[in-house]
Amino acid sequence: MSLVQWLLTLHITAAFFYVGAAVAALILNTLAVLAPRPSEAAYFLKLIRTVLPVMFLGVAGTLAFGIWLWHERGYSIGAGWIWASLALWVVAAALGGAGGRRQEHAREVAERLASAGDTSNDELKAILRDPRGQAMSLLAGVALLAILVLMVWKP
Amino acid sequence: MIAYSGPFWPFFLHVLGAMTLFGGILTAVVLSIVGLRDARPFLRAATFLALLSCIPDYVVMRIGAQWTYNNEGWKHAKPQPTWLGIGFGVADMGVIVLLLAIGGAYWWRRSGNTIAGRAVAGLSGLYMAMLAVAWLAMSGKWG
Repeated sequence: MSLVQWLLTLHITAAFFYVGAAVAALILNTLAVLAPRPSEAAYFLKLIRTVLPVMFLGVAGTLAFGIWLWHERGYSIGAGWIWASLALWVVAAALGGAGGRRQEHAREVAERLASAGDTSNDELKAILRDPRGQAMSLLAGVALLAILVLMVWKP
Repeated sequence: MIAYSGPFWPFFLHVLGAMTLFGGILTAVVLSIVGLRDARPFLRAATFLALLSCIPDYVVMRIGAQWTYNNEGWKHAKPQPTWLGIGFGVADMGVIVLLLAIGGAYWWRRSGNTIAGRAVAGLSGLYMAMLAVAWLAMSGKWG
């Protein structure tokens, strides 16, 4: 395989890691929201940590191999779709990070309630269903989707 | 504009379906491994749900694959490239592995049987490895 094919393979692998881990985090977060007991919610939120190394590899790999490919394939320095993808990558990472901090807070509250009778309360329900947190996760997902659109479309 | 850009939709749906399918199976692998160490029933139920979530992803991926194949005229290519054979092989054989994992997860959820749990973890891990081979072969255009 040529260098460009290797870079493309690694870039796409990183994208699979990034999107796959984001989907895994979404499923686990949804399971936490639907969990009837705080101990179960805390467990699912804690499991999100196990997919974070995959996500970090994806976040770093998409950027590093993407920029290398940009150079190797000779795309123009002014290629708007690549700059737009970079901007969306920053937005997705920032919103994903903020959403992750909210999930950590929810996990702390859920663990506290789990050790004190394991009964849910309004505070935990409000944190898990917080519209701002959900909007952040949704926008991070939309940004990732928009990057995928740009990468396939290459306008 | 996107709608008129030729092969955008088929390939986009194929890639999107494949990536979300990987996410679903990754979740199932994590939950099944954890569920083998921790016997609480909610982990077995979650593994089953994570595997069920793979079905719509698989359908989108497979429809996108066939649509791209037809649009780009690959059916007339003789011989077919290796990467295409690997992709179709994983898609069509892999669905059997996925369905067996879903069946195993249903059994595990109902019985709590450790053998069922091991089978689910093994089949999910196998399917994840098959997906990785497919995306490596297809993105690297092997053969």
